[in-house]
Amino acid sequence: MAAIATRLAAAAVALTALIALGACTPKEAGYVEIRTVPVANPATAFYLDSVKLEPLKNGTAVLRQGIGTTKLATDGTGGKLALCDIVVRKHRITTVTISVLERPPRCMCRNSAPDGSGGRSCVG
Amino acid sequence: MKNLKFGPAALERPVVQRALALAFVLLLLVSIAAVRPAFAAGPDAITPVEDFSKELDKLKKSFGDLGRKIDESTKAIEGYSDVEKARKEIEDLRGAVAALLDAVADNGGLATLGDKALGRAREKLKELEQDTRFKPEERAFLVEQWRKLRDDTERATQELGGARTRFAELLRTLQANEDFIDELVQIRQAQKVIEVIHQLTRDIRGASDQLQRLIGAIKPPGA
Repeated sequence: MAAIATRLAAAAVALTALIALGACTPKEAGYVEIRTVPVANPATAFYLDSVKLEPLKNGTAVLRQGIGTTKLATDGTGGKLALCDIVVRKHRITTVTISVLERPPRCMCRNSAPDGSGGRSCVG
Repeated sequence: MKNLKFGPAALERPVVQRALALAFVLLLLVSIAAVRPAFAAGPDAITPVEDFSKELDKLKKSFGDLGRKIDESTKAIEGYSDVEKARKEIEDLRGAVAALLDAVADNGGLATLGDKALGRAREKLKELEQDTRFKPEERAFLVEQWRKLRDDTERATQELGGARTRFAELLRTLQANEDFIDELVQIRQAQKVIEVIHQLTRDIRGASDQLQRLIGAIKPPGA
């Protein structure tokens, strides 16, 4: 009986994990292309919302991202430093180039649009 | 000097050498055969590389399908006078490219698998260089195999990077075309609005003329 209960518990855990995994992967997604000029040091950390990105390969990355507005940030002296807002739309790619020579680094949007707060966001 | 033989014993020497050579080859074959199952026995060792390779093959097939779809769609779009249909076609195409970009994105399934496979091959090579379980020739064989796998995986991940760049560019082009088509739709709608205004103006003018005629026809008694 104990063995059966253990197996059932394991199956339940596995099922929960699968459901959680399915829930974590956004079905409706778009893409964010990040380019750094000049090519950023792989040690430079970038964040999309709270998620730290893997070191960029050759200073670029194309990432799948859930639709909506996401914040691009980097490490600053007093914590995370927000760089810009990126609007991700379904099946569309939003390209943003980060000038890492400037202090603080600056976002340059390929296409931009005004956001609600009077600033501008990168759009795809 | 005791080993030196002359006469009939000298004739036996090549036979012994051949037998020794044969034994060595047999030993080598046996050792390779023994090494091969050991290779296969560690699914955790080889699986990431194999999985990556399989997924890459699938992607290449999808890439071929996409190429055909792009050609067909380009012809279809060129033939369309209906911008709505053209927009739908581009939208579908964008969906197809997005599905491929999903796989090759830096945080996508295939790229993650590639990184894992590459990491495993590099780690395995490092391990083998310090491994004392094997004979030098066995180790050399294993190192050679893993080195080949590492090089192949590196090349494949580079190809993947190229595909990522191409898909991203393609998606951008489709977006730009779709946006252009959207602008055309807006222009057409604006033209329709102007046509409606013109028609309305004509109608008003007609009504006004009619009213003028009616007013002109009214004559007060005695006039």
